[in-house]
Amino acid sequence: MTLLTPEIAALEGTKRVYTAPEPFGGAAGRYFGLAVGDHNPLYSDPAYARAQGLADVTAPLTLLTETNQYAGLEINDEGYAGHTWDLDVPNTRQVRGGNSYTFHRRLRPTDVVTATWSIDKVTSKVNKAGAEMLLINSSATYTNQDGELLAENAETIIFVELTPSKPKEDQA
Amino acid sequence: MSWTESYPTEFVDHASIAVGDVVPPLTRTINLTDMVAYAGATWDWHKLHYDAEYVAEKKLPGPIVDGQVYGALLVEMIQDWLGPQSFVKKLDFAFRNLVFAGETLRCSGTVTEVVGNESGTGEITVTMQVVVVDAEGNDGRAAAAPCSAVVLLGTPDGPGASA
Repeated sequence: MTLLTPEIAALEGTKRVYTAPEPFGGAAGRYFGLAVGDHNPLYSDPAYARAQGLADVTAPLTLLTETNQYAGLEINDEGYAGHTWDLDVPNTRQVRGGNSYTFHRRLRPTDVVTATWSIDKVTSKVNKAGAEMLLINSSATYTNQDGELLAENAETIIFVELTPSKPKEDQA
Repeated sequence: MSWTESYPTEFVDHASIAVGDVVPPLTRTINLTDMVAYAGATWDWHKLHYDAEYVAEKKLPGPIVDGQVYGALLVEMIQDWLGPQSFVKKLDFAFRNLVFAGETLRCSGTVTEVVGNESGTGEITVTMQVVVVDAEGNDGRAAAAPCSAVVLLGTPDGPGASA
């Protein structure tokens, strides 16, 4: 029994597109800066931001790749209201591998964000403990209302088999 | 005192940056209040980050710090060192261990590559890590490693700003 079923394999190429209902706004960046303890005035002082060469205040770079503001989704039973692939892989635990961000420019309060998510690759391998791991490589591209590329985000979600069904050759 | 008054006004001389330079580390304790604020700021109210009953059901020792905050702290560390005339164009981080409410994180980094920096422009690569500070104040378990960033110098914005 493999976690990489034909149904899971067929997910490669799946896309989800979300467009925010409003411009990002200046308050969002100021709020995020306050929440993470970042005192940088680029996020709250328009005069400072302009003196540095920006058109206006901006947001901490990783807010764009972390926010669910654009999604417009309901809050689910676990309190989450962001993009998800809604994958249910029985007898596994889900872990996040990491992120790779590429930033093309700073956010502006007037940007209306569209996030285009896609499943790029689905693979499986066996770890040293003999448990199968299903790896979902997905990515998001963030653009604004004029089609300008703002950022890209690649991430890996791993489903680790809880009880190996039988000894497997170590491929990890 | 306003929120931004504590922000530094002097930054490292970009032209002086060399391979092996150590980025001033950033240390931050993440309390439940910070986690609730982060949840609101990111529109992510997953119960893992604040709901004691929910995390107990999951047999976790406490609410989990949202791992994406490591990225925010790494960028903050870099920008606080380089100042506003810099732009992080690439940031990579891999998760290692869960971090729980009340724990203290330490971000650290070293310059591993410098390209075309004769006049204070060009770009640098910084290799970084995020660790949990242990009870003795030493580096404990890794929260995120390896981490790396590629940073443009001498510009406040990225290549897409002039597109």
